[in-house]
Amino acid sequence: MHEGIMFLEKILSHGKKERQVTEDIREHIKLLCTACEVFVTALEKQDRNLMMDVIELEREGDAVRRKVISHIYEGAFLPYLRPDLCKFVELVDEVFGLLKDTVSYYLEAGLPAKLKDDSIRVALLNQRMCEMLLITFEAMLRGEDLREKILAIRIYEKKIDDIKFNLMSDAYQVPIENFWKGKVLSDLLSSLTSISDMIEDASDHLQIIHLGTR
Amino acid sequence: MWRLLSGVFLGWSLGANDSANVFGTGVTTGIVRYRTAIVLTAIFVILGALLEGPKCMKIVGELSHILPNDAFSCALAAAITMTLMTYLAIPASASQAIIGAVIGASILSGSADFTKLYKIVACWVITPIGALVAGYTIHRVLGYVLDKTVVSLTRRSLFYSAGIIATGCYSAYSLGANNVANVTGVYVGSGMLTPETAAIVGGLSIAGGVLTYSKKVMMTVGKGIVPLDPFSALVAVLAEGIVLHLFTQIGVPVSSSQAIVGAVVGIGLVGDIQTVSGRMLAKIGLGWVLTPVLAGVMTLGFTTLLT
Amino acid sequence: MAVHDLQQRRVGGMKVQEFMTSKIEVVDSNSSVYEAAEKMVDKRIRSVAVRFSSSEGDFGVLTTRDIVFKVLAKGINPKKVKVSEIASKPVVCIDRESDMDDAATQMLKSNIARLFVCDQGKIVGLVSLLDVMAAELISHARGDHVS
Repeated sequence: MHEGIMFLEKILSHGKKERQVTEDIREHIKLLCTACEVFVTALEKQDRNLMMDVIELEREGDAVRRKVISHIYEGAFLPYLRPDLCKFVELVDEVFGLLKDTVSYYLEAGLPAKLKDDSIRVALLNQRMCEMLLITFEAMLRGEDLREKILAIRIYEKKIDDIKFNLMSDAYQVPIENFWKGKVLSDLLSSLTSISDMIEDASDHLQIIHLGTR
Repeated sequence: MWRLLSGVFLGWSLGANDSANVFGTGVTTGIVRYRTAIVLTAIFVILGALLEGPKCMKIVGELSHILPNDAFSCALAAAITMTLMTYLAIPASASQAIIGAVIGASILSGSADFTKLYKIVACWVITPIGALVAGYTIHRVLGYVLDKTVVSLTRRSLFYSAGIIATGCYSAYSLGANNVANVTGVYVGSGMLTPETAAIVGGLSIAGGVLTYSKKVMMTVGKGIVPLDPFSALVAVLAEGIVLHLFTQIGVPVSSSQAIVGAVVGIGLVGDIQTVSGRMLAKIGLGWVLTPVLAGVMTLGFTTLLT
Repeated sequence: MAVHDLQQRRVGGMKVQEFMTSKIEVVDSNSSVYEAAEKMVDKRIRSVAVRFSSSEGDFGVLTTRDIVFKVLAKGINPKKVKVSEIASKPVVCIDRESDMDDAATQMLKSNIARLFVCDQGKIVGLVSLLDVMAAELISHARGDHVS
């Protein structure tokens, strides 16, 4: 009868557990947006302290991620939805990871002046993509059609793709002192430009969740 | 009274076999815990048997003149046939088993009323077809309504949870109401029990089977039915419950297995996908023929032995 | 959310510099139209900035329309025509802090498909019709409009 009581609890709670989870995920994505925003400013001002703030935000994000997962498996939503929700949270976490990596590489070897402008543009677009991801998440919760939001994210991704091309060709012309310095720069650009792909993956996953309930 | 034992055996095997039709999808998709499912099924089966079970018992008795010994043999033959079919993983219809058995018994006494038989067989044919139509229609209509009203993710989720439980309970009720006549109808027909008592005995024995032996069938994906999304699962069970409930009013016991399969096929048609494999359909067809024949032959054997 | 003037629908208050392309391809005014066409096909772009060697910061623009309508469709050999002969001068500029909405209006006024984004006289980017549309889609997805 324990299960019976648990079930009655669920119905009577009017989705309290679900609300908790959606609040958590909302917090998670908002943190990501903030991290991206701080990163943009940090790049513009070449402020190492701000860069460290980004790392701090990533740590916070990780804590939220763990909170979300445990709340989900305490019994929120239907069992078949839970893996998809968790996968989405993991993807957002991977974006955090890429951002943190970018910061680490920057702290290690800086960024050549020639690449600064384009990098800032990419970082800003990343931030816009995260904001759009939040909007998409809210729309998914409301059960709305996600098509135009996902299109917006794809537009941003394409813009970044265009810049990436220029960024890379400019990077080839940057003189490097040795292999390792070059590798760090390459890794920095690589992680910076992969963030948008990951955000796009996350948004696709929101679509999957949406379709799973129709 | 020892003759009632075969009926209890029959009820038990019916409960074990058919409970999967009620909460099978709910359990395998993880929405309902197995233990909760069987308890709910047992409760509502008994309720259905008590409240509306007697409605279908008349026709079993009208089919042919049954002696108490015949009643015993029929129930036993039906139970053995059901168990055998379960073992072979062929969806079995207790209705077809018991009716086949009764006909078998009546061949010896020559008192079969075939007009009633035609009515019964017609209902058997209409069951899966009706369930198909019901499944298709409900899926479309309810789907449309839901898309307009219960839109947010959380609400949908809660609706599905509550819906699967509610439809499962209803389906269990209909199962009890419709199928208890299969289990103990022969005893009413032979004058050994009143319909009400038969309903109690039958309902309890079905509940017993549900509680003790239904796990294997419920967990078998090898029922050949495509795993459904929560909404389709809800609709399928609802369609099945409605069909069984309707036939209870008509007074003919039908097959819940065939109803659920029909509903699932109907739902598959909505999305234009084949939800039931051809192999499974073939197996069902085989069961259709084998079940009554086997039960009838066995009954013949038993009654001959007993006289 | 910003209050919008319902009469004058705004493209979400998006700044031009958020949507511009920052890498501008440049050709020298003395190069041939053929070479310019090569560059455009190779880079899959529809316009190039034309650098006039006469003075620093003196730019014109050459578009696919110019090449096709003024040269190719007339059967003239593009290798024999200099870019300076068919390029347009001066370029129509828009400030980087302007809104996409202003860009759209300007494009309509001048009947051109692209604007160069300028910052204190220097070309820093390019914004095209496609960019205006993209900005509108994004603005709509953000729910910036009261429809």
